[in-house]
Amino acid sequence: MIVPLAYVVLAPLTSIDAAQQAGLPLLTDRLWFRIATTVAMFVVMASGWNIIGGLTGYASFGNIAFFGLGAYTVGVLVANRGWPFPLALLVAPALAALFALIVGLPLLRLRGHYFAVATLGVGVAVGEVINNTSQLGASTGLTLPIVRSDLLFFYLMLAAAGVAVLTTWIILRTRFGYGLLAIRENEEAAAVIGVNTTFYKVAAFCIAAALTGLAGGIFAQWSSFVNQENVFAISDNVQMILMAVVGGAGTVLGPVAGAIALELLIQTLAGGGSGAVYSQIGLGVLLAACVIFIPRGVIDFFGGRSRLSLRYFRRTLRETSV
Amino acid sequence: MSQFAQQVVLGLLLGGVYVAVALGFSLVWGILNIVNLAHGALVIVGSYITWDLFARLHIDPFLSLPVDALALFVIGYTLQRGVINRVIRAPLLFTFLLTFGINLVIVSLLLLIFTADFRSVTPSYSGSGLHLGSVIIPYIRLGGLVVALLLAGVLWAILNRTRIGAAILAVGADRDAAQLVGVDLRHIYALTFAIGAAFAGVAGGIISTFQSITPTAGDPYTLQAFAVVILGGLGRVSATIAGGLAFGLIEVLGQSAPGLGSGYANAIAFVVLVAVLVVRPRGLLGRLA
Repeated sequence: MIVPLAYVVLAPLTSIDAAQQAGLPLLTDRLWFRIATTVAMFVVMASGWNIIGGLTGYASFGNIAFFGLGAYTVGVLVANRGWPFPLALLVAPALAALFALIVGLPLLRLRGHYFAVATLGVGVAVGEVINNTSQLGASTGLTLPIVRSDLLFFYLMLAAAGVAVLTTWIILRTRFGYGLLAIRENEEAAAVIGVNTTFYKVAAFCIAAALTGLAGGIFAQWSSFVNQENVFAISDNVQMILMAVVGGAGTVLGPVAGAIALELLIQTLAGGGSGAVYSQIGLGVLLAACVIFIPRGVIDFFGGRSRLSLRYFRRTLRETSV
Repeated sequence: MSQFAQQVVLGLLLGGVYVAVALGFSLVWGILNIVNLAHGALVIVGSYITWDLFARLHIDPFLSLPVDALALFVIGYTLQRGVINRVIRAPLLFTFLLTFGINLVIVSLLLLIFTADFRSVTPSYSGSGLHLGSVIIPYIRLGGLVVALLLAGVLWAILNRTRIGAAILAVGADRDAAQLVGVDLRHIYALTFAIGAAFAGVAGGIISTFQSITPTAGDPYTLQAFAVVILGGLGRVSATIAGGLAFGLIEVLGQSAPGLGSGYANAIAFVVLVAVLVVRPRGLLGRLA
């Protein structure tokens, strides 16, 4: 935990060469750069999900659609139209937000399981349609000109993560944020006291989409390859939700804590030589344990609200079981 | 015309499979308010049991269905009693994530035990079918449909003609009131999930007769069970039958429409799904909120 955190803090101060000269072996490792960039990417996605799922209480299971749309926007504009990457990256979140507006208006009328299922459907369907559209490269995908710079993409993702966290922080301090929380607690009551629930929900959905689309756009150029499998991955879709929930949904730093903890855990399990199957089993068991024992997320242990103890586990267990 | 008739027949037969898959899913959702993302994995556990019995002992797949049901009943009871009961009063997102974790564990265990190789069950009659004019009805698919309808009948009888069923429905209607009149909640929850899992196991047995099995083959069935329940509506056996058959028809006919193909199977399903949700959020025949 400490080492990668130190790494994330130190990385902006240095470059790979400088690190090598200073004799910091960890910083010279390209794998760690990839992992740090991936962590930052998931911070963006988990924070985006947190705005609609955590703050507004609408558990979207289709946010991967926004990631994929952002990635494909950059993919098409850069690979097919020859746009410069920075310009294309500005379009990605806008297009994702526009799509969220179009599907959000009908879907955000649904509640609970129905909303979750409908958004899951959107995620799967968008990927499938793109996979069958020849102008978008169909199943072969799109190949972008390669940009070799571990540092550039690390900074880009880190900046995006900063924007995501800052957005959540600002939202929680405005009238808009209180409106979202009110919708989460009791939508009818929120409407009665004058919250324009439709506008608030759709706006939250669009903000979440824009952030997720931004991450997708950066990812497209970073991996320089876009197809259905790598940008509409169901595992990524669920991972961003897991990270937000394991970290602490509805808080500013919860998704950050969740993204760091889970991504490092996944990497450790996958890189421990025990094979992918055992890492999957470990992830599943851990997920079940987190949901059962720390439903408020690991963020609950920071800031002196609760202490990690057997009594805490017993209490959370009693609160939710029959 | 005859081609259209064949498509309709195939759609209804496929719909029978969806009925079998969705019955348990719908029961668990309706009574426990859990959308069980591990449902497809439980289905595939049933498939592997049928395959194992067929490959080792040459037992006919339709004869091994009771074994599937029994094994999955035990697994389901244990899962609910030991694990899912612990989060049953948490917000729905948590049961969602918990069942996703269970799905991950089951699929990985299957991968360890059976590897990722394709497995298929091929009884001697698997290639033959009933010829009605120009329409062909494969025997195994017909058998699957019959079993699915039998399952639906069994579920209806359990729910409406037994004391256990009355307790299950009571828990579904009002948990606290049911507890007040002496229903053992933990047991009934576990029993409901166990019945749902047993039905999933039988559905898996049916699926193994016409489709190659891999550990991840169950994931689409979870999504399709969703779609079926939403099409038909939650809370009635007849609604699940209607939803399953309708979904099978839509999938087969949709894929044969000009310009579309099997690559659009999920997209078609979900366009229908979203359209139904938006126009009729309770499903075609649904009654529960």
